[in-house]
Amino acid sequence: MADVRVSPVRHDGAVAVITASELTMQFGSSLALDDLKLSIETGVTGLVGANGAGKTTLMSIVLGLRAPTRGTVRVLGLDPSVAGAEIRALVGYGPERNVFPDEMPASDFVKHMAEVRGMPRAEARGRASDALWLVGLGEERFRPLGTMSTGQRQRVKLAQALAADPSLVLLDEPTDGLDPVQRDEMLALIRQISDEYQIDVLLSSHLLEEVERICDHVVALDHGRLVAHGRLDALTGHDDGVTVELVDVADQPDALTNVVAALEAVGLVVRRDGQTGRIDVLGADVDHVADAVRDACADAQARVARIVRRRRRLEDIFEAGSR
Amino acid sequence: MSDARILDRGYRRFEGTRSGVIGAMRSVAWHTARSILGLGRTARHKVFPIIVMVIAFVPAIAFVAISVLLKGFGDELRPDYWEFFQYSFVATIVFVALVAPEAIVRDRRDGMFALYLSTPLSRLTYVVAKVVAVLSTMALVVLGPPVLWFLGYTFQSQGPDGLLGWLGVAARLLVAGLVICAVYTAVSLGVASMTSRRAFASIAVVFVVVGGAIVTDLLVNVAERSESWRVLDPLGLALEVAPRLFGDRSDDFRAVGTWQVALGCLGWAGSGVGLLTLSFRGRAAV
Repeated sequence: MADVRVSPVRHDGAVAVITASELTMQFGSSLALDDLKLSIETGVTGLVGANGAGKTTLMSIVLGLRAPTRGTVRVLGLDPSVAGAEIRALVGYGPERNVFPDEMPASDFVKHMAEVRGMPRAEARGRASDALWLVGLGEERFRPLGTMSTGQRQRVKLAQALAADPSLVLLDEPTDGLDPVQRDEMLALIRQISDEYQIDVLLSSHLLEEVERICDHVVALDHGRLVAHGRLDALTGHDDGVTVELVDVADQPDALTNVVAALEAVGLVVRRDGQTGRIDVLGADVDHVADAVRDACADAQARVARIVRRRRRLEDIFEAGSR
Repeated sequence: MSDARILDRGYRRFEGTRSGVIGAMRSVAWHTARSILGLGRTARHKVFPIIVMVIAFVPAIAFVAISVLLKGFGDELRPDYWEFFQYSFVATIVFVALVAPEAIVRDRRDGMFALYLSTPLSRLTYVVAKVVAVLSTMALVVLGPPVLWFLGYTFQSQGPDGLLGWLGVAARLLVAGLVICAVYTAVSLGVASMTSRRAFASIAVVFVVVGGAIVTDLLVNVAERSESWRVLDPLGLALEVAPRLFGDRSDDFRAVGTWQVALGCLGWAGSGVGLLTLSFRGRAAV
């Protein structure tokens, strides 16, 4: 078996990192992927969908671990069914599963994975250290994995995916088990990897909100079908109505409720965003809606933080596509 | 005070050549071999490897040392070359049952197997890397003491006559050792691949190798079945390769034909490899 010479540079010079056509995967009578046609471009791409949507199957095909029942797929210009090993040398993978050899120091683990992905031994040691510093674990790099917190272990998973200088990184639920602060830091880190080092990222998540926050592109799957696909800013373009954010004022506890009641009294549809001070007011005539909001807020003596033209949310697109 | 300062550090792109599948296999094999021997691991993981090495090498070291210190002492007790392997028999059983299964059981338990499959490795190349690692470390236990013994005799001028004679004995020791390692590795990994718990793996391996010897003994000595049934004893059968290569036979296998020994070894090695391959074939990756 000869050593494989692979280049970190994209083989066809194309912008598309992953392309698929008529991609179908069938397990017995179950259709895991149904005739997908997509093109994933450079940057950060969110792969969203509920459990069983086909995200993991798509990732395993991208890595060349499964051959599709029908259709074609190209990853970094290569065909996974014939160049799986070459693709996997260029792709870093951060699994969802959060179990690793507990007694192994983080630096040894990341170095070992860099070597397995093709780095020379001497290079792997330095790169492991650099990757751990990058993810914020420089000072902790000699600690055994078993003594690390969930957040630190998620960072180690990211570091091992990065250490061999991949062209593309696949991350499976990288914020799983993190608290809000850790989640923000992890998302910022993923964004940084793409912006500063031009490493493309395919982020698998069931959390639409975090995909909206950091992704350039979205691939939304539902029961193996492609329900939305494209640039996030194009998909979430302007929608009817306005979004209003009110300032929470202690001596006006009912302001938001009164504003909503006033808007509904004039026939507008209002959606409240949980317990926050944000509401979406729907209506085709945006000027009319904005005037009504202004009047309702004035009458209720509510303090307005922001009124903006309403944008469609990924959740709306996903729901519309799933119907 | 030193004038040294860090000019640049941090994550950077790699422009060199990647080592591909061979490099991945080499890395996994090296990492596994170190892990089996307890190198770079906590003290409790070094206990069994140290016990195995002590049991394996002490008889050889003691015999060579005594013969050096007391020249001519024990010449009449000197074992045949093929008998060298029998002195590390206990160490080999401990290694096969308690140490070798660690090579694959651990990866299944801690998720490393799935992670390895996201690298240039495939299921097949992963298994080959693991087999190479176990085979190499087992060779230390199985081949190390006979080689030490043989070299000890050679330096005391008690070895084979002439260069050709010496090379002939060395080659036969090497082939016998490799066949024994191959059979034991296949059996140990094949059986261990059925579970993700090390304790269960060790019990299962003991059940097969020691149980095989007991069942064979009962069949032949109590039920008075044919001596050919001894091929069901993987431990004894593999060891029998050594006397056959030196034109001799051990007492237990005296009535078993050499072709039966060869076929039996092939059968055990093939069964182990088959079990190992089947076990990893359907295992989920990503």
